[in-house]
Amino acid sequence: MSIRAQGLRTWLWQRLSAAYLAAFLLFSLAGWILAGPWDYVRWRALLTDPVYAVATALFFAALLLHGWVGGRDIVMDYVPAGALRFTALTLLALAVIVMGAWAVVILLLAQIT
Amino acid sequence: MRFRIYRYNPETDTAPRMQDYEVEGLEPTMMLRDALLRIKAQDETLSFRHSCGEGVCGSDGMNINGRNGLACITPLGELKEPVVVRPLPGLPVVRDLIVDMSRFWHHYRSVRPYLIVHDPVPEVEFRQLPAQRDRLDGLYECILCACCTTSCPSFWWNPDRFRGPAALLQAYRFLADSRDQETESRLDELDGPYRLFRCHTIMNCAAVCPKGLNPTRAIHAIKKLMVEHAI
Repeated sequence: MSIRAQGLRTWLWQRLSAAYLAAFLLFSLAGWILAGPWDYVRWRALLTDPVYAVATALFFAALLLHGWVGGRDIVMDYVPAGALRFTALTLLALAVIVMGAWAVVILLLAQIT
Repeated sequence: MRFRIYRYNPETDTAPRMQDYEVEGLEPTMMLRDALLRIKAQDETLSFRHSCGEGVCGSDGMNINGRNGLACITPLGELKEPVVVRPLPGLPVVRDLIVDMSRFWHHYRSVRPYLIVHDPVPEVEFRQLPAQRDRLDGLYECILCACCTTSCPSFWWNPDRFRGPAALLQAYRFLADSRDQETESRLDELDGPYRLFRCHTIMNCAAVCPKGLNPTRAIHAIKKLMVEHAI
């Protein structure tokens, strides 16, 4: 059994990304609530903090990875193999890439401006 | 007592139909199989599989009021009227309540449901510690009635490639066996996106198993074993 095994690897990524999403959301929500009230200046300051920015970038990466595996599972279950499935998976992959690029742009802009 | 039974004879019927029956003199403690035998006495064209009559052979798995189960251990007193009886879902119908189990047996054979030992066979017996033997409880009792596999949506969606709960329960029965020496190849065989990993923990299998087994737990144990062997 190898960690590169296709089914196992995908399943593990889904589980690990879920754990990170849960942990990030839990800590962030607790932090937001405890450190409130929040205004625009404080939000900007938080997002320019390098540690939080990296953690947020990882959050979006985990979210997109989790979404890709889940979406791929749904397509594999419901869409018959062939051209239709290929199209659905391609559209899903494109959506994930576009959303990933969008998240990168937002995070980079927050750092620059 | 009133019954609505799925009828289909591919040789004479163009489409399946539901046929109503009324049977007198049934007791609540009698089993559905007894009622079906009475119906068959009225109408000998009705076809269904049955054998031991006590939940051991697994022949009379069917869909009873929307839920898979064995007719021989389903008391009539627990069933709402009319009792709607259909063949197990997800498998081709041969006739009436009889389904073609070829696909089910194909998956069962694929997991090599027997011990594979490379060491010389001991002269007396294979030895196991009580704790090693205990690991097989909840696994070896499966009677292969197909109630679990045919109630699994993942099997309905990918019947050719997803092994299904019954075969995966049996796969783990041999993975958990201390005497078996083919763990690696058994795990390798189950990898890929379909054979094992189509299970989404829906747990219909555990809900309908007439022997009270939990294939979902076995599937999870296989995944855990895969992780242990991969890392």
